Amino acid sequence: MISKELAQLFNNNLFISNLKATNKEEVLGELLDLFIKEKIVRNRQIVLEMLHQRETLGSTGIGKGVAIPHGRTTAALNVVIAFGKSEKGIDFNAIDKQPVHLFFMIIAPPNDEENKYLPALGSLVTIIKSEKNRERLLKVTNYSELLSIISGE
Amino acid sequence: MDNEIESLVTLQDIDLIIEEANEVEKLGFAITGGSELAKARAELASRIKKPILFRYERLRAKLKRAIVPVKNDICLGCFLRQPTSIGAKGREESELFTCENCGRILYWLD
Repeated sequence: MISKELAQLFNNNLFISNLKATNKEEVLGELLDLFIKEKIVRNRQIVLEMLHQRETLGSTGIGKGVAIPHGRTTAALNVVIAFGKSEKGIDFNAIDKQPVHLFFMIIAPPNDEENKYLPALGSLVTIIKSEKNRERLLKVTNYSELLSIISGE
Repeated sequence: MDNEIESLVTLQDIDLIIEEANEVEKLGFAITGGSELAKARAELASRIKKPILFRYERLRAKLKRAIVPVKNDICLGCFLRQPTSIGAKGREESELFTCENCGRILYWLD
């Protein structure tokens, strides 16, 4: 997936530069509430349950201070990504056991005819593998700065 | 889960996670809890009435997605418009409805 396509899956209202959450449960809830507020998903309980079940399969904390909680749910219509940043860092049971500062939450529908979900997940992983990108993301204060990084500018 | 449709949606969501676990692993995510997730699925399935679970499994085998969202009264499995009369009841999630065309279980998103 090209960067511009990935950027289109983000939303100005699904952006938090300073998360209030202090633990894994809270951060999942805080990011999910953005989707609820924007009416991107209707049933909070169902989507939260899906995110929990996904974490059961293995932590989405992929190391180096980044987590990408994600999953398909019947309660969603489109692939949408939220971003949140925690200054203090949150214990997310990441694979390297380090606190997580950067969160990308991806919610996708069960049917994804345009095949956006897995390519989007892959593209995000590629972006955050770059130390330079992670450093820039840690300094993000507004949505347009986030989009610049995602768009590869 | 409060009711049958929510349990079925969660069951399908778990099945979707399991279905794509290999692809997600290739992207670099650690997949360590396959057996725990399978256990959670079995536990949830055991709480669903057998005829409904059977219907879900049969639809899943035949059509891949057993439950599909409905938006603006359109079944997003086959894109057929559903009778408005069932929409109100469907939104209350108190009864299971299936698409008259494709047979999938319907889940209202609006």
